[in-house]
Amino acid sequence: MPCAIITGASRGLGFALASRLLAEGWKVYGFSRQATGPEHPAFEAVSVDVGDADAVQRAVDSLSQRGEKIDLLVNNAGAASLNACLLTPSAVVASIMRVNFLGTFHMLQAVGKMMVRQRRGDIINISTVAVPLSLPGEAAYVASKAAVEGLTQVAAQELASAGVHVQAVGFGPIATDLTRAVSAEQLRSLNQKIGRPQGTTLAEAVEFILECYAQRRPGPHYLAAQLPKPF
Amino acid sequence: MLNRTQVAALVFRRLALIGQELAKPELVQADEQTRLFGQASQLDSIGLVTLIADLEQDLREATGQSVQLVNEKALSRLTSPFRRVGLLIDYITELLNKPA
Repeated sequence: MPCAIITGASRGLGFALASRLLAEGWKVYGFSRQATGPEHPAFEAVSVDVGDADAVQRAVDSLSQRGEKIDLLVNNAGAASLNACLLTPSAVVASIMRVNFLGTFHMLQAVGKMMVRQRRGDIINISTVAVPLSLPGEAAYVASKAAVEGLTQVAAQELASAGVHVQAVGFGPIATDLTRAVSAEQLRSLNQKIGRPQGTTLAEAVEFILECYAQRRPGPHYLAAQLPKPF
Repeated sequence: MLNRTQVAALVFRRLALIGQELAKPELVQADEQTRLFGQASQLDSIGLVTLIADLEQDLREATGQSVQLVNEKALSRLTSPFRRVGLLIDYITELLNKPA
């Protein structure tokens, strides 16, 4: 039975992806602060703050000690805040970087070592189209996800020869708690910019992640029909 | 806790396994002067990462404790503990036997 760790599996995209993998016969560990997730005999919730390096290492060690092999890690846990960059409090920036970037880094380090020992594994880091769009009003969020994309590209090169594939996958707005604070007009405008006026459903996002997983290219891969050219 | 002889046995066993995997007889026959990174090393950067990851697992199994070989203290040493096999054995022995 293949085995995955998904961070932020208690709701939203992580929950949907966990449900899909479980339906396809995977064993899934959901790492999140709230130890909840899909009701399924092959799902196990692990209560952990991914921003805490020692806590992450302990949680991953406990799986290793059980002899568990991890085929796939999806770093999905994320936080966002809508703020003009000049008005974003330092504590908010630190909090977003802690979850989005440090959390991804800690998980990649701890699970990546397991995968190096296994000489195989796949790591998918969830990003966002807000990075190539340089989306105004989301400076801390965009910066944290840009950092995730940079980490992904370095890790992909460092770990490839050990049989570990690392990639980043990004989406436009999906109807989850993360986009709850965004107005309908902003969502419509953003979806227009990326050529997906109908928006992106959780099912479409899950399908895209699995397509990228099969292809094993570092990316970043964006579920978008169009993206603006970089500055 | 493990003494230096026991740590050395773990390290040489792991080097031999990686040497077989990478088809590098120099690692199979490593001694305390064998270089682990830099010029004249038989390990590239991912090879060193693999050695460290494997050794952490070996040490966890041998001691029942989680051991992190790479930490700020190790990185700040004037002479890297990852330069030569003998230095690595010394470092691991010290790490395992330091007062709690």
